[in-house]
Formats: sequence, structure tokens, C-alpha cells
Amino acid sequence: MIFLLERFLPAVFRGRPNLLFILVVMSAVWTIPNGLFGQDSIQFNRDIRPILADKCFACHGLDAANREADLRLDTAEGSREEHYGSAAVVPNDLEQSQLWIRINAEDPDERMPPADSHKIISEDEKLLLRRWIEEGATYQKHWSFEPPVAVKLPDVSDGISNPVDAFIVDRLRREGLAMANEADKHILIRRAAFALTGLPPSPAEVHAFLLDNSPDAYEKQVDRYLESAHFGEEMARHWLDVARYADTHGLHLDNERQMWAWRDWVVQSFNGNKRFDEFTVEQLAGDLLPEPTLDQLTATGFNRCNVTSSEGGSIDAELLYRYAVDRTSTMSQTWMGLTAGCAVCHDHKFDPVSQREFYSLYAFFNSAADPAMDGNTLLTEPSLKLVSQADQEKLDDLARQRTGLLEQIEIQAAQIAYVDPAGIQPRPEAVEVETVWMDDEFPPGSQAKASPGHPTTFVSVTDGSSVFSGERALKRTDAGLAQDVWEQASTPLVVPADATIFAHVFLSADSLPQTIMLQFYKNGWLHRALWGDYGVIPWGAPNTTEKVSMGPMPEAGRWVRLEIPVGKIGLQAGDLLTGFAVTQFGGTVLWDKIGVTGTSDPASDPQQSFQAWWKQVEGKDVPGLPGELNAVAKAGPDSSPDEKMRDRLLAWYLHTVCSETRPQFAEIDSQITQLDTARDAINMAIPSTFIYRNVPQPRDSFVMMRGQYDKPGDKVEPGIPAILPPLELASDTSRATRLDLARWLVSPDHPLTARVAVNRFWQQFFGTGLVKTSGDFGTQGELPSHPELLDWMAVKFRDSGWDVKELVRLIVTSGTFRQSSRMTSETFTRDPENRLLARGPRLRLDAEQIRDNALFVSGLINLEIGGKGVNPYQPENIWEPVGFAGSNTRFYKQDSGPALYRRSLYTFYKRTAPPPFMMNFDAPNREQSCTRRERSNTPLQALQLMNDVQHVEAARALAQRMLIDGGATADERIAFAWRTVLSREPDAIETATLKGQLEQHLDRYQKNPEDASRLVMLGESKPAENLAVPELAAWTLVASTILNLDETLNRN
Amino acid sequence: MRTIQEQILAGNRRNFFGDVGVRLGGLALGMLAGESVFGNGVGARPADRVHPPLPGLPHFSPTAKSIIYLHMNGGPSQLDTWDYKPGLQEYFDKDIPASIQGGQRLSTMTSGQSRFPVAPSKFKFEQSGESGIWINKELLPFTSEIVDEISLIKTVHTNAINHDPACTFVMTGSEIPGKASIGSWLAYGLGSENNDLPAFVVFTPQFPSDSNGQAIYNRMWGSGFLPTRFNGVALRGSGDPVLYLPNPDGVSRTDRRVMLDALEQLNHRTLENFGDPETVTRIAQYEMAFRMQASVPDLTDISQETEETMTMYGPDAKVPGTFAHSALLARRLVERGVRAVQILHRGWDQHGSLPYQLGNQCRQTDQASAALVRDLKQRGMLENTLVVWGGEFGRTVYSQGTLTKDDYGRDHHPRNYCMWMAGGGVKGGYVHGETDEFSYNVVENPVHVNDLNATILHCLGIDHERFSFKFQGLDQRLTGVEKQKVIHEVLA
Repeated sequence: MIFLLERFLPAVFRGRPNLLFILVVMSAVWTIPNGLFGQDSIQFNRDIRPILADKCFACHGLDAANREADLRLDTAEGSREEHYGSAAVVPNDLEQSQLWIRINAEDPDERMPPADSHKIISEDEKLLLRRWIEEGATYQKHWSFEPPVAVKLPDVSDGISNPVDAFIVDRLRREGLAMANEADKHILIRRAAFALTGLPPSPAEVHAFLLDNSPDAYEKQVDRYLESAHFGEEMARHWLDVARYADTHGLHLDNERQMWAWRDWVVQSFNGNKRFDEFTVEQLAGDLLPEPTLDQLTATGFNRCNVTSSEGGSIDAELLYRYAVDRTSTMSQTWMGLTAGCAVCHDHKFDPVSQREFYSLYAFFNSAADPAMDGNTLLTEPSLKLVSQADQEKLDDLARQRTGLLEQIEIQAAQIAYVDPAGIQPRPEAVEVETVWMDDEFPPGSQAKASPGHPTTFVSVTDGSSVFSGERALKRTDAGLAQDVWEQASTPLVVPADATIFAHVFLSADSLPQTIMLQFYKNGWLHRALWGDYGVIPWGAPNTTEKVSMGPMPEAGRWVRLEIPVGKIGLQAGDLLTGFAVTQFGGTVLWDKIGVTGTSDPASDPQQSFQAWWKQVEGKDVPGLPGELNAVAKAGPDSSPDEKMRDRLLAWYLHTVCSETRPQFAEIDSQITQLDTARDAINMAIPSTFIYRNVPQPRDSFVMMRGQYDKPGDKVEPGIPAILPPLELASDTSRATRLDLARWLVSPDHPLTARVAVNRFWQQFFGTGLVKTSGDFGTQGELPSHPELLDWMAVKFRDSGWDVKELVRLIVTSGTFRQSSRMTSETFTRDPENRLLARGPRLRLDAEQIRDNALFVSGLINLEIGGKGVNPYQPENIWEPVGFAGSNTRFYKQDSGPALYRRSLYTFYKRTAPPPFMMNFDAPNREQSCTRRERSNTPLQALQLMNDVQHVEAARALAQRMLIDGGATADERIAFAWRTVLSREPDAIETATLKGQLEQHLDRYQKNPEDASRLVMLGESKPAENLAVPELAAWTLVASTILNLDETLNRN
Repeated sequence: MRTIQEQILAGNRRNFFGDVGVRLGGLALGMLAGESVFGNGVGARPADRVHPPLPGLPHFSPTAKSIIYLHMNGGPSQLDTWDYKPGLQEYFDKDIPASIQGGQRLSTMTSGQSRFPVAPSKFKFEQSGESGIWINKELLPFTSEIVDEISLIKTVHTNAINHDPACTFVMTGSEIPGKASIGSWLAYGLGSENNDLPAFVVFTPQFPSDSNGQAIYNRMWGSGFLPTRFNGVALRGSGDPVLYLPNPDGVSRTDRRVMLDALEQLNHRTLENFGDPETVTRIAQYEMAFRMQASVPDLTDISQETEETMTMYGPDAKVPGTFAHSALLARRLVERGVRAVQILHRGWDQHGSLPYQLGNQCRQTDQASAALVRDLKQRGMLENTLVVWGGEFGRTVYSQGTLTKDDYGRDHHPRNYCMWMAGGGVKGGYVHGETDEFSYNVVENPVHVNDLNATILHCLGIDHERFSFKFQGLDQRLTGVEKQKVIHEVLA
């Protein structure tokens, strides 16, 4: 083959292009999207660099450590340097160029690239290299590092007003192609509605649009969508993929994390048309802005979206290193389209980002304040509480009322004529006492908690359960370790003298636990008594009072009284307990009436004698006692305190501790409890969100050898790659900050940011970016199909003040976007991927859009914006088989009511088991930044759309709308559905097809009405009662057919 | 009437499991294989395959057509199963010599321990089979009877010391989430022979409730950067075996046929209107879904299995969701031409109560693992099915927490652990590699996780160096960017 080319090629190139040339170039069109068609001279960036980068740079590129024969081909100087008397490239002299000689060498030992690289230079590529050398072998900086220049619009006249179209038409003409006609109006409005809001247009919108014959009817419709609150939701969806947003930590336990306020901030930013430069700066460095607002701090959540771990045994330094690398790579890919990840381990073989430069970027993120271990908590600091004005006012009001009640307590206490038994003569006699801590309720003024997934449950005599005492008993069934916990008591339990703790337990004989345990909190959970298998409880130092074996399991099938002499578990008279827990391993356990017995000598009983109590707490901190009173109490009774303070302390004692007087405050206590409950409810509802900050003292950063966290090499300072414009510092401090980095990214002379952003927006609307590899603008990425258009838009975007809505308007109002997507055999064969855009985009809807569409057209949708993630329908056993036993996202708890019908953007995203309706349609798992989703077409998708309860219920709801609102005849009803779902009227064949289907279903369901009722009862919403069930069932399958249509599932 | 697009596609059908759009990796392979990658951007593929292989694959004649990968999640103790160290008895409760420990990285769960006392295995080891391989026969009585079928590798080592990264590493060749799993690679490269079932199927059976069950992650069978249609499909033990498989309540197979007939007619009109070949694919996918609704229940219906077979797998084999049931279904899948099956069994993380918990773990898996190998052999399928058994790392010779002769725990140990392979071109009755007397360091023939994966690919006819996918500027490989080697010694 080489031989043949040698003979024929000169003729090819000297003459006019002949058939062979055209064939070669035609093939190249599809591998190198911008092609060579109509181009005269070789351009290094377009034609040569991709070949050298793929075949040669691994050994002859930037990476000095792996450079062979000291030859580099990525620079002109390197290529011309002489080695043993010859150079790789001698301009204009093919015969003297070693590159040419070596790639054509017959001897396998001579030939390049070497066989073990498995790289082969094709004949097409050889042709290009040959021409390049013959034409002088000029080099260019990689295209994306050259600043974009707004080229003059191509002169294509013909009344083309949108600049986008000028570029597209210009290229099409050079290819001998033309734009397609504009799509039909009903297609157009549906396309624009999905593109801009992620939802279909309503039939009313379509109707009005079809009637509007003004020349700018479409532009006006686009403007309405740009102003819709759903615009931000649709735009945010794409950004969430890039930012790797999710609702769990992602590693190990994969517990819930709270940062949905950041997601809502993204939605609001797009709705408010926040400038893209501000959008950038606030996310990367909002915390470093002067007096940052809550919004600006919320924005920094971008850099907290990465996966984190709290796996026991992990090494902090390793995790911190990983987080910083992830943040660096994500920033780099998101804003610069550079896959800096490779430079983690070695000099980037293809792109001019050295390992040292990567770690200079990394140095910006290596001082993050969040800990290595996320703690498996909802809020891993730093976080921000987002208190609204209204909530703050409510909280202030509750606090005022509470203060009032506390004052009232003091007044009421002052009126009590208290006589301290310690001062009574003769000394009162000791008596037996019993204090009950739990019977029907946990003690007041505390928090009750339970193992994740299984809430605390009381059973009652009224439901036929066995109860030992009172009305209710605590019940729990679990396969493993589980417990109910009562803690943070404001009124501690006091251990009397000679105390024995008791509890009543009922073990199920059919479902016997391996172990049961009682546990008490006194400055720590360090007092445990357990029955049964000692080994299965992992807590507490064995054979100490932290973990005491009380013997075998009690008898099952009846109530048994358990008793623990307190000394056995390390407690003594006067101890204040602020929590207890009942624990089991497996089985079913009922607990009831837990308390303590003992004796009380009034004169020395801290619950009766103020003096005795005060003596007891001397030198200790008293839980729940306000600071200044605590100091008094701690100083002891002999410290002769201020009289007023003493009285206040007594008042507190009488209210809180004294067994005789405490009941007098029951009424006021219950009022306080109500206030506290209201306060806690507000506080619980107030979201917090992860934010990003630096540690006060920046950490030193080093080049990490081979990307290993424990192999630091040279120290580096924050900085940027040399190939890019210099970093300007805001202040004259020597060290560059993240704010400097963020501002540098959006500085006017940065060659990448605007291009990368514009390209991603383009991808959003056309399915493929002008640069197809939207996450890779480096030398391994594809070249832009329309470089001039990309640059023109990038400059325009930047110079417009980074105006996102204006850019979006420009794109979606272009004739290019508005073209019919119909493929002819010519356009299909010529350009299957539609890179030349001789037709409009036809794209399968994204995962969220598919579900939202079904909800919307069926009328089920709940369009509420923002808030905590929700759990819609999900098949059983998606979370559970992968969940860690201790994870709080082990069990999926499906929501009910309106939350089921929220837009998919708000679906809770568990990273280790993402929502199947999302995964099935190519959504990423959000573990890493994703700049482009696949669009697959699988049978699993068909199964979901036919059988998922979500879609079946939507079909039924749509069928119901057809029956109630759609008219009286089948024809009218079908037309109604067609207008609702497809924004158009059905034709006669379509109607006939569905009517034929309907007849068969009707017949069958009239004969089998019980099947009909089973079908229409699926889903949580219920069908209207006045409808004939067999008819509704038959229409449900018709509606399901409509929801499964290819036309429905596509933005046509 | 056929449209132009249908005609084009008839001769060059797209992958039923998804739009093809073969990216650069595939394209490059196509070029290497000398096949056309031009025209419509899709390399020529076998026309009647739902899961066609990439052009040019396999690279050479495979010794295994399918793989069943038994992943024991948590880190099974090599010291208490396969790596027999009789000399340790005299070291009971003595600190591991510094010369052995060598200042290696420890997990922070034990790095704070003041002592590192040696815990010899409490179990009795015996030599088994004609090959005389040492094995803990107390816990692995059934496996001990198939040792002549296996290659035991005693020197597998990994980079990661914690579960999440180590699991991600053994399955995807990288500790960082985002890479493709081994099953996804195989589905991508080799496709599958079965047109009615997914190419890569995963089971996540139950595990003992009182064992220490670590989490597993969808990414362990995820496609990472590969198109998502190469994700493993989790066949579930409870609920529908395939998500959304059955028709809704009240909808019969006949109803579905009626609906699909209407749908197809209407979609043909869409095809006429828009001329998009994706519409053809969609029509075919709905038909495939309809077929799967029949083929999957057929797969999971084990009522025709013989008494003998059921006895061999043990009583659990009748219970959906158990390891034994999964193992039986794994054989049925491979029998139907499915390329890759993976069973991920949890609970092997014995930091404490090791002898007790390990007993439970083995009881759930030993009989069925051995039965699987025997069953495959009886049916003549073992010679082209590769069975792999192992976890993500090993465990330390020194005890974590309580240490008595009968009770101890062990921390994570990435420096050596045991895995075995059987069938599919692997030697039987062979032991590869040796560790020191404390099972703490490799002394002979280390096998990195990536070497092991390279070997697995090799058995399936793939040269791991030539099997790549362009992503983030790199030619991504299952076996990473470093040089890896196929372990030729274990190959028959």
C-alpha cells in the first residue's frame, strides 16, 4: 500500500483533486469533524497535532520523565533538533525528515510507532504528515490556548439575521449542503419548551402559539420560557451533572448530607440570569468575597459536592489529598475543559499541563476546612444555617415567651414556703422510694431517637398488645443491632441511695433476640447491662462497668422484671443520668416501666434537701443549669453566695430537682415544652448547607510523586499553567488565593472559560457540542466542528457581560435550532451524527424530562420549586442490597402524597444506589463530574416505561383526563391526548390504530372486570369514582401507548 | 415498505442494548481489525446479535467464553482459609517481628495498638485432592473436594487498605470511582451470545446478619465511562429479578401484545415522518423487552433442575436471594450464553469474633461455590467458563482486639491475600506464589490485582493492553496505565 501511494501520490497533489483525493478526504470528514473539504493548506492544529498527539507524544512529548531518545515532537524546536546528524523534521524536505523515514520503515525495529505501542499511523494520516512537511512543517499553539477572536461574520446574505446561522450556512454551502426548512410550529414549540423548561408545552400554549401569526411569534414564546421559573430548573439539571451534586456522601456508609440549598441556589441563579462570571466566582470563592452574603456562601457548595468518606481505618492525609485532587480536576474540567487528572501522576503526556502545574492548581484547594472524615453526619462542617427573616422572627418570639415563663417560674418558686428537711429537728426518717422514668412516654424535656430506618414505636392495649403497665409499651423488631435512645435530658434522673434500676421486658418466643441491653448516660455512654450473648454488642470495654453481663436471656413469652443494682454498672447515689437506651440484637422485644427504687433519707436526699443537693453538686457542672447559676452551684453551699443568686438557685432547685415541689410546675413546664417543640420544629425545618472555607493556616502543597498521598516531592505554591495567561493577584500578598483563581478564569483574556461554557450550552440544545468532547478541549479532544462560530459566540458571551439568557436566546432562536429534524437518506448518509447541522436536532428526552413529561401530561405533577430531596416511587430493594448496616440511607422510605409527583430534579440522589429511573436513562451516578450524558436506547427502558408504577399511574391519570375532559367520542378523546402529549392533532391512521387497540382492550376488560380494577388501582392517587372501570382500564393502556411513543420520548 | 434507514440498518444493525455511537476506543479497534468504520460511524457487526462484540474482538482464541466471579466482600482471612502457616502456633500472642512488619502502612483501626500479637489460625488445615493443596477443611469441606480443579493464587496484592477504595480497585482497576467494572468491560468488548438476557448480570445475595457486612456499591458493576448500557444488570433475589419486568397488575401478556402492536404501527409512522434510525432501534427494543418478559422467568424457574443438582448446591438453593440460589442461577445464565456473572457476597470483614463469623460466612458459600464448579464440570461447561473466587484484600496475622486461642480478630491487609480461579483455561490443582511464614509479605511470584485482571481478560481472549477506551485524555484500561502482566503460570 505504501508503495502504491509513493507512486501515485505526487500526481494527486500536484494536480487538481481527483477521485482518490476526494475519497480520502470524504472519509476524514467523519473522523475529523471539521474535515478538509475546501481547505487548501495544512493546518497544524487541525490536521497534524491530533496525529502526533495520539501516536507520538506519549514518548516524544511534554513528559520529560518518559521521553525517548531525547526527542520531543510537540514543539517546533524539538522537532528540528539534530540527533546524530539528522532531525525528525526538516521543513520542505521529506527525504531528510527522520519522522517520515521512520513511520515508513520496513524494518519493525526501525518503524515508528513501535509495535508494542499498538498505535498505527493510517495511510490517510501519512498523507497529511507528508503534506505538512512538504509545506514547511509549521507549528501552532493548540487551538484552544489561543484567545478566541471574534471573526467577521461570513457573508452569506439571503436575509440571514442570526449570526449563528451565518456560520452554519457558510459551512453547509462549502459542503454543498443547505439548511432544512423550519420545523412545523407544533414541533418547534415542543422542542423549545423541553429545551428551556424541561417540560412540554400545555395545549393552551400550543393553541395560542399556533394562532399567533406575527413574525416574532416564536421569539416571544422563547422569551416567555426564558422568564419561566422552570427555566432555572432545566438549566440547573445540566450543571448538577457537572458539579457531581447528590444527597449522600458517596463513600462507605453513604449517609445523607444536606446541601440542597446549593442546588436551589443554582436554579435561582439561572432564573435570575446571574452573570456567568459571578456564577463562577461565587461558586469557587464566594467565601473570599468581601462580606459574603448567605447566597454567596451557599454557592461555595460547588466544591463540597465531591464524594467523601468516614470509613473506619482511613488515613486522613490520603482522604484530604483525594478531595483536593477531585476539586482541582473538577474545576479544571468544568471551566477549562482540561483533563488535568492525568497530571496527578506524571507530566501530562498530551496537554501542556505539567505535573508541577497540576499541583500548583491543587494548592488552591489543598487548604479546605472540611475534615478528612465526614463523620457520616448530615452536616459535615463547615456548614451554614439558612435562617429566613420570617423564621428568625418566629424564633425570637418563642424565645421571648420562654423567657417570660422562666421568670414566672422564679416568681412562683419564690412563693413556695420550702423547708429544707436537713434543717428539721428531729431528723425525718428514711423511706423507700420508687421513681418511674418511662411508662407510656419517655421522660419529658429530652430527645428520643431510634436506629435508622426503624422509628421508635409504642404499642398500646387498644391494639391488643401486651402491655405491662399503663397504656403503652415500647416495641421493636430488628434483624440486627437496634435501639431506642432517650438523651440530652434537661431534667436529669437522680440515682437514690441503695438504688436498683428496674425495667420490664417481654421477649417474643417466636423471634428471640440474641442480646438485650440497658445503657445509661452519665457524662458518656459508659454504663451497660446486658443479658444473653455478650459478644454481639460491639460497644464498651469488655469486663468493665462499661459492659456488664447480667446473665442469660430472660424467659420469653411473659413480662419479666430485670433488676440492676447500680453499683454493678458503676453508678452511685446522687448520680445524674441524662439518657438511657434499650438495645437488642435481632428479635422482637417489648419494654415497659423503667425506673429506679432505693431509699431516701429526706435530710440527705438531694431530691428533697436543697442543702444536700447543693453539697452533692459542689465542684461539678450541673446539666441544664444556666451559666451564672451553675457557677454558684459549683462553688458549693459554703461559699456564701450573693443572697439573690442563692434564691434563684433555690428556685431552680424547687422547679427542677425537688421531688416534692416539682409537680407544682407541671403546667408551666408543659407550656415550655410546647414552646420548645415549636422552636425545634422551626429549627429542624431550617436548612443548613455545606459551604467551602479554608483552614486558617494554609497547608503546604507538594508535587505528589506518582500521585501518591504519602510521597511528597517539591513544594509548590498556588499558581496556574504557564501556557495560559498570567494570574493577577487582587492584593499584594505573595500567595495567590482561590478568589484570584476564580477571577482569572473569567478574565477577558482567558482562552478557555467562555469557549467551554458556550460549548456546553450548545451541547444542551443540540445534543452534541461544537467540540464533541465537551469535557476535553486539550489535544486529545476533538476539534470544533465550527471553530469560528465557537469563537464568535465565546467572545459575544464574554462581551455581553456573560449573559446566559442572551446566549441561550441567540442559540434557540437561530434558524439552525429551528430546522426540521427530518432525516432524508441524503442527510443521513452524509452526516449521520448531524455535526454539520443540515437538519434540526432530534434527541431522546433525558431521564428527568421523561418522567416529568409523564407527570405533566397526566396532570399529576407537583410543580413546587426547591427544598429537600424527595423519595418518589422506587422498586423495592434498590438501596437495601447495597446498604451498610449502619447507614441512614440503608432503607428506602418512599414518600407519599404530593411529594411523589415532584419534578425529578428534586429526587433524592443516593450515590451508591442512584434512582433507577435516572440510571436507566443514562444519568450519571454523580460520583465524578460528568459533562456529557450518553443517550442509550435499551429494552430496560422499554420495560420501565411500560411497567413502572409511576408511568402506569400517569397513564391512568391521562386516561381519566381523556374520559372527563377529552370529549364524548373516542376520536375526540384520542385527539385530546394527542394535543396534550404531542402538541398536535392525530391523523386518521393514528386515530384508527388506537381505536382498534381500544376495542380489543375494552372487550377484554368488560369480560374480566377484576383485572380492570387491579390495573386502575395502581399508584397512590385513585381514579375518579364515577368512571366505568373496564373503560378506564382500556383507556389506560391506550394512554400508556401514547406515553411510550417514540415521538413522545423525543424532542423532535 | 422499508425506508432507506431501515434498509441501511438491515445490513448494519445497531446494538439492541443501545445506540451504538462507538467512540474512539471502538473506532480504533475497528481500524486495527481492518474493518470499515466509516459510512454511518458504526463498524460492521454480526447482524443477528443483540449484544455484538466490538470489531476485532476477541483478539485471539479465548479459553473461556464466560466468567462467573464470586466476590467475597469484606476481605476473607487468607490465614484461616488457604494460606497455611503451621509455624505460627509457637508465636501465639507474641508480637510480630519488626523485620516482618517492616514499618508498613496500617489502617488506623490498628495503627494505634500498642502491640501486634500474632493470632495463629485456630482451624485445622489438611491437604486435599491429588494435588495436596492445604485448605481449612473445617470451614471449607466442600471446596476441599474441588481443589484439583483450581489454581490457587496466594500472592494477590492490592493498593488500597480500606473497603471502599479496595473494592472499587479490584473491580475497576482504580481506587477512584468513575472507571468501568470488569463485567462492563467484558460486555462492552465481547457482547454476549444470548439475545434475550443482559450481557452482564449481578447478584447481591443475603449474608449472615451477625457478620460484619460492609457496603457494596453499584459502581462495582457499573460501566463508569463506558456507555451505561454496559452496566451490570442486578438480578434481584426479592422483588422482580429484572427491574420493571412484569406487566402491571391486570395486564396480561396478550394485552401487552395488543398494546405493542399498536405502538409499533404508530412508531413506524414516526419513522416515516422523521427518518431517524433510533426509531427503528426503539421498535426493536420494545420487542426485546417483550421477549425478556418471557426469558427471565424461564431463567429463574428452577423447577426442572434435578434432585441431584439441587442436593449438590444444598438446601439454600431453593431459596431466592441466597448465595446458593444465585450460584445455581449463575450456571443457568452461563448456560444461556450470558458473558459475565458476578455474585457479591457480603460479611467477610472480621475485625473481631473471626472464627465464629468466618464459620457463618463459609457455611453460606462453601457448598454452593464447590457445587458450581462441579456442576459446570459435569455439564462440560467448566472448560469454557472461568470461575473466580476472592475478596478485595486479606487480613493481618496479628490480632485486632481480644486474642485467645479460639477468638481473635484481624485487620485489613492489602499486601497479600488468596484468590482462586477454575475452569476456562486455568490449571487445576496448582498453587501460585508464596508468602512469608507470617503471611505478611510476598516472597515469591507476586500477583497484583491488575495482573489478575489482565489474566482474566486473557482467558477471555483479550489482550489487556490493546483493550482501551478513550476517556479524559487517556486510553483507559481495566488494568491501568502501569505495565501489567498476564500470569501465564496459571494457564493450562
